[in-house]
Amino acid sequence: MIRKTGGVVPEGGEDEREIPGRVRFFFLSAGRFLSYPLVSLCSLLLLTACQPETSTPNRPLLFWCSNNAAEITLAREFTDQWQRNEPQTPLRFQPIPEGQSSEEIILASVVGKTTPDIYANMWQGSVEMYAKAGVLVPLDTIPGFLDFISERCDSAVVTEITSTDGHIYQVPWKVNPIMTLSNTQALAKLLPATHAGGSAYTYDAFIAAGEAFKKDLNRDGYTDQWLGYTEVKALWYQRLFNFYPLYLAASGGAPLLTIVPGQKARAAFNNQYAVEVFRFLQTLYKNDYFSKERLSATRDPFLDQRIAIEFTGPWQVSFLKRYGPDLHYQFYPMPVPASQRGPIYTYADPKNIVLFNTCPNPTAAWAFVRTLVDRPGDLRLLELTGQMPRRKNLTTDPFFAGYLTQNPRLKPFAEQARFLRGVDNHEQIVEVFDIISQEYEACVVYNRKTPEAAIADAAKAVDVLLGN
Amino acid sequence: MKLTSKRLTPYILITPYLLHVAVFVLFPVAFSIVLTFHSWNIISPMKYVGLDNYAHLLKDRLFWQSLWNTVRFLLVHIPLQIVVALALAEFLNGPIRGRAFFRASFFLPVIVSGVVVTILWQQLLGFNAGMINKVLTGMSIPKVPWLESPDVAMYAIALMATWKNVGLYIILFLVGLQTVPMQYYEAADLEGATRWQKFRYVTLPMINPTIFMVVVLSTIGGFSLFIEPYIMTEGGPLNSTLSAVMYIYRQAFQYYHMGYSATLGFFFALLILAVVAVQKKYVEE
Repeated sequence: MIRKTGGVVPEGGEDEREIPGRVRFFFLSAGRFLSYPLVSLCSLLLLTACQPETSTPNRPLLFWCSNNAAEITLAREFTDQWQRNEPQTPLRFQPIPEGQSSEEIILASVVGKTTPDIYANMWQGSVEMYAKAGVLVPLDTIPGFLDFISERCDSAVVTEITSTDGHIYQVPWKVNPIMTLSNTQALAKLLPATHAGGSAYTYDAFIAAGEAFKKDLNRDGYTDQWLGYTEVKALWYQRLFNFYPLYLAASGGAPLLTIVPGQKARAAFNNQYAVEVFRFLQTLYKNDYFSKERLSATRDPFLDQRIAIEFTGPWQVSFLKRYGPDLHYQFYPMPVPASQRGPIYTYADPKNIVLFNTCPNPTAAWAFVRTLVDRPGDLRLLELTGQMPRRKNLTTDPFFAGYLTQNPRLKPFAEQARFLRGVDNHEQIVEVFDIISQEYEACVVYNRKTPEAAIADAAKAVDVLLGN
Repeated sequence: MKLTSKRLTPYILITPYLLHVAVFVLFPVAFSIVLTFHSWNIISPMKYVGLDNYAHLLKDRLFWQSLWNTVRFLLVHIPLQIVVALALAEFLNGPIRGRAFFRASFFLPVIVSGVVVTILWQQLLGFNAGMINKVLTGMSIPKVPWLESPDVAMYAIALMATWKNVGLYIILFLVGLQTVPMQYYEAADLEGATRWQKFRYVTLPMINPTIFMVVVLSTIGGFSLFIEPYIMTEGGPLNSTLSAVMYIYRQAFQYYHMGYSATLGFFFALLILAVVAVQKKYVEE
């Protein structure tokens, strides 16, 4: 018999036939003498690699910031300042790793037990889930925290950020109030701000302006200039930038859920405000005053003046300053029904600071966080990012007056910062928004349901979701 | 001692592969099956829920809609793919000028990233700015809301998916066509068969195994529809393009319902297995 490698098969049976001599030598000799230490070494290396850095004692505190350039600069400044003042407590910062969303990255880090000690960009709606999972430090257990928080925020904000277990797991840091951006030149005569002494648009004025402003510019039988645009996709978070701020504005800041400790939460939005908001938006789409086609995938429609209205945040100020210096525009509160009374609330888009329980020294971490959220820290946040610190008396505190005078475009946001809401503290809030989003699409965008039926169906589905 | 080492050697040799299968195939499958009986949001401890996930699946209206959407996609995509691929393969199998160029051109979309192709088609299918609607209005034909209408969007996606994948199936059909012995055609010529008769009674029966393979591959590929609706429509409008895989993904990575998502995935895998088994039996007959 001939071997595959050539030569005659020696005596010794089937086993020897299959493996060539040199290979056999390797596996029988090297395998025997090398494989066990090699496997042990590899296992050790793997285990070492899997060991989270956060479990190493006496390591520097790790601070994750947002990964945009302005916030990286902010984090660097404050980390350097901390290092100079507190060299005995080393701290380093790192922008949050790239991913589809920061929420996804945080979740992955919680699962992998590679969380930072301090994270400054946590969406308020995510906090409850992490709090219930027991991965956050209850900040109210740190001496001095409660005094600090009551000095920084009014009682409504403190209530909003208090978890259902009675603890506080987040420091309210920054907000980006959602407001109405209006091209005042294009809409000068068509859309006067009529509500509450000219501070906001009413639904009626908005709809009348929509009819006057929409145009078929190239006369192909289709509208190509609309009053406004807001994302039509049925993604839950898109409702934070259209339905939700409009609902807060109409209702005077009413919650979506009724949350009573010890009881199951219930839907609280089956009311006239939500119905009116759906009807208002449905009218805008039904009559082609707002574009149903996704304009966000094309050149900026506001800059191109294909639309004259957007619901947006303060980030738009620097964008327009750079790309639309000749545009005449202004920011107003969200549109409201003519019958609306009292302050006009909106969605805050709040991002807060949390400490993870992997932190070896929460007291030192809190001391660092305090430097970020004291008055100089908040002013620096404003200067570098144009985002509003979530603190009371922002417009009346002389410490911030100079900045706001020099940046008048941001003043409406600072004024709006008095009347803000985050989202309800519930671990299933994303699903609540998703249910509303499904009904929003059916009713508002595609006119397949009446506003009353859509809101009622959404509330019913939310109650089922919450176990009622 | 020597004999024992020799007997162990084959096992040592296959250990890396077995480890790979154990870690990346067997463990996830076993873990998924365990998960179907639990409620788990990744960060909190698992909670045993018995058959609750299966009971929920039965009355989950959106899951059944996503399944129906996937079937609608397959009903358009598979026949269209077979007809177009076979017609083009027949064309490219003939003595035409620039055959190599055409073969390469039709295969090109297969090697381009699915994400890139999807984004390109999203631009082409835009209602106002899309090139296809611009061509239609240039011919005085009304614009089509390709991705905006719940009645049209899934078919637009099926059209795009066919364009993207047809090159692969052209190659498979070409291979099949080239295995048909020439003497059958010569015999058919002697009998006076027309071109259609030769195709119907010689070519089709001879390439039956290829047709089966294409049907199975495009069924499995079609069932895993994800990238196209995820990028183009996010499952909308009105959930009309929400595919089953997209729904499973959403349950897992948007709501963190890992147990329920595993249940859906398990059920879906069994369904694909059943469909392919039926197809196999039907085609064999």
